[in-house]
Amino acid sequence: MSRTTQVVSAATLVALGLALAGCSTTAEADSTAAPEASAAEALAPATITVYTSEPQEKIDAIVADFNVDQPDVTVEVFRAGTGDLTARIEAERTTGDVQADILLAADSATFETYKADDLLLAYSPADIESLNQDVVDPDGFYVGTRIIPTVIAYNTGMIDSPPTSWADLTDTDYAGLITMPNPDVSGAAAYNAAVWLDNADLGDEWLVDLAANQPVIADSNGPVSQAVAAGTQPVGVVVDYLVRELAAAGSPIEVAYPTEGVPYVSQPVGIFANTDEQAASEAFVDYLVSADGQALAVEQSYLPVRNDVGTPEGAPAMDDIAILTPDLDVINDTKAAAVARFNELFQ
Amino acid sequence: MSSSSKAPVAGPVVSDRARSRLPLTSSRPSPRTDARRTVAGIDLLRLALWLVCAAVVLVPLGAIVVLAFSANHLPLLLSGDILQAGTNSLVSAVASAAIAVAAGTALALLLDRTDLRGRRVLRLFALTPLLVPPFVGAIAWIGIAGPTGPINKAWTDWFGGPLWIIYGGDGVIALLAIHSYPIAYMIVSAALRRIPTDLEQAARISGASAVRAVRTITLPLLKPAMLSAFILIAVGNLADFGIPSIIGLPERYVTLSTLIYRYIQSGTVESPLEVIATIGVVLLVVAALAMVVDLLVSRSRWELDDSASAVQLLPLGVARLPLTVGTWLVVLAITLLPLLALLSQALLPAPGVPLTWANLTLDNIVRATSAPSTLVGATNSVLLSVLAGVICGVLGLAIGTVVTRTRARSNTALKTVAMLPQAIPGLVIAVGWLVIAPRIGLFNTPWLILCAYVMAFIAIVVQSVSAPLSATPMTAEEAARISGASRLRALFDISWRMAVPAAIAGSVLVVLTAVRELTISVLLLAPGAQTLGVNIFSLQQAGAYNAASALSLIITLVGLAGLGLAARRDR
Repeated sequence: MSRTTQVVSAATLVALGLALAGCSTTAEADSTAAPEASAAEALAPATITVYTSEPQEKIDAIVADFNVDQPDVTVEVFRAGTGDLTARIEAERTTGDVQADILLAADSATFETYKADDLLLAYSPADIESLNQDVVDPDGFYVGTRIIPTVIAYNTGMIDSPPTSWADLTDTDYAGLITMPNPDVSGAAAYNAAVWLDNADLGDEWLVDLAANQPVIADSNGPVSQAVAAGTQPVGVVVDYLVRELAAAGSPIEVAYPTEGVPYVSQPVGIFANTDEQAASEAFVDYLVSADGQALAVEQSYLPVRNDVGTPEGAPAMDDIAILTPDLDVINDTKAAAVARFNELFQ
Repeated sequence: MSSSSKAPVAGPVVSDRARSRLPLTSSRPSPRTDARRTVAGIDLLRLALWLVCAAVVLVPLGAIVVLAFSANHLPLLLSGDILQAGTNSLVSAVASAAIAVAAGTALALLLDRTDLRGRRVLRLFALTPLLVPPFVGAIAWIGIAGPTGPINKAWTDWFGGPLWIIYGGDGVIALLAIHSYPIAYMIVSAALRRIPTDLEQAARISGASAVRAVRTITLPLLKPAMLSAFILIAVGNLADFGIPSIIGLPERYVTLSTLIYRYIQSGTVESPLEVIATIGVVLLVVAALAMVVDLLVSRSRWELDDSASAVQLLPLGVARLPLTVGTWLVVLAITLLPLLALLSQALLPAPGVPLTWANLTLDNIVRATSAPSTLVGATNSVLLSVLAGVICGVLGLAIGTVVTRTRARSNTALKTVAMLPQAIPGLVIAVGWLVIAPRIGLFNTPWLILCAYVMAFIAIVVQSVSAPLSATPMTAEEAARISGASRLRALFDISWRMAVPAAIAGSVLVVLTAVRELTISVLLLAPGAQTLGVNIFSLQQAGAYNAASALSLIITLVGLAGLGLAARRDR
């Protein structure tokens, strides 16, 4: 039995150690700064739940900033990848109502599906005229909160003449050096595949040529940016803000905005129709696209959906970025076929 | 479990004794005569176990099956990649389990039975892959053996082509084996401790070489444990997601568990939940088949008494030095390399920054440990995993002893029920619990995660317990019965106590697996809640790869320290 006790005590130590690993510092971000000034517009106490794929640190900062003006609205955050969010929402729908008030994630296609299923509440945020109209749902069920373009990233230590266009990627110089996210896993990558195929300059021929360079299809945008920064594959097709953040942290990585234009997703926000806290939810949506909310987005390395808050450090001005804005209906209709074509080519 | 197949036969159970020339013990008694008078206690226990299993396994499984059959999605799956994915899943699970069991057994023999140098330290190193979350390990390995990793770069410079690129089916099998051989090692090593060295000594005295003694005496006696480990690992690897998604997908090597993500994520199918539930049911069927194979193969087995004599280590003789060097090299290569990769990532500010003294920083370690969510995650993970370890330990001990030490037709069914969830990916298990959560009032509580952990990991303890028990004769229980103990009392006082070390080893495995669990936690967490696995994943998603590495490294080192203490009990 003494063996037993030793094992148990060892197990307890493991447990304690892990607990200690977590509490070496407890810098609590106090988010309840409540200025008296804005109390006039402040809403009555309410609790809203946000489902989001925004990284934890960023959504924490967003909620803290929102609480400056709305100190009495408690925002509970459930953060997960887009696929996990879909699974959770679907599971909740199976047995009852969606348990969230707000969804802030993914691309407009996801929202189109929910809109068609009558899950969303129609709401046009205040000041909607100031927004980039490309990200506003004409029916008023959701609105984009960031411009997240897919760009070309390259490792500055290994690539001397970086590609500047999508067409450049088919150059045999880059054979075996490219990595890109998997459209089966990343919603943005699936969207991109459809946009490329729909584009007159690129289309199927370009995709065939790209496949000839045998890109490594990585899991999602995260591993792609990591591989480019580490030099595993020095050229990557990836969302732009990850590249800027890595470069800021010191990685030898740089972004090129392809001359043909960049496909983008807009991380829309929408309110679920069965919300109990409509006023608080609307206030949160208003905040996200307000000048304050967008200034924070820029601080967080995102391209904004308004023109009056500048762009992140290291990013070109919004007017200098060519953006591909295809017909969304076409893209939604062709997406499944585009992903199938992609899978067929990139064996 | 094999005893159950002989349930209708009253009287001695013969376990292929004819093939054995070992000094085996007497046969089992005929318990039927007085069984009727004393069944009550043991039947109540069995009923209780069934009720618990029904609650934590059958109900969520039922929810998955109902979802799967609410519409027929098989045509869609059959038209898609399910056959190829199923084949890939099966091949990778079986091959990796075979490699893992072979490696685990070889290590158990070398480390526990021979005079190999530095055994204790080596044992610790050998267990490290258990502590690294597979999705972190996979990324570390890409850095080592990826197309432009240092190994392939050097090889290309010397010989004009890469040595081995980790992407694809072979990489998936290799990494699954690397992450699961510690389980095989722990199960086989627990069984090995019950095999007296007297038998090997007898063989050696009679002139057998050390190799021959091990091959003809020890290995056959280890067969039940090896088989248990094989089934557990093969079934578990069927459900693994992290490794095939990171290592397999770049080469379009799709398995059933990555296929599930494709359907839930790409938004290209209607009612994705039903589709993935259908894939879950397909995996269930595969797991059930594996259990049938387990049952058929384990019919013949050995039993032997415990030995009171001290363990005699096999002298390796002239082979000691080369074996020591070889084992050290292999173990260090597969454990230390990824740890070093993690360490260098943890100490560098960002990926791609050259490794020089000037660049080293502790910022990532500070960032990883000082985030408020890490504290919440650590507390939750430790609490939930320890609770899951304890519950799985007790429940697994009870199920493991009941199915191996008593007879009933329902034993096989009980063990199968406990084993099945091992084969289903965490995502599907989580969906099952999400569907039933509102009805049982556990929605958005940590207890929901606890229930799901127990469901997902109970098999580890059941297999750990039944492996050594099925190779132990019933003599002690018989003695207890003869002295007047009831069947329940004999089970509690004798069988349970014999199985406690194995149950604790299993519980430790459960705790270590649960403390960094990702897929189940991420779906079942209440808003604002965290676990360590989710912390790591969140850091990674936020682009803080180096902080994620730092947190993984800390968890690994703390876990290793704990394991080091646990390992000291041996020698």
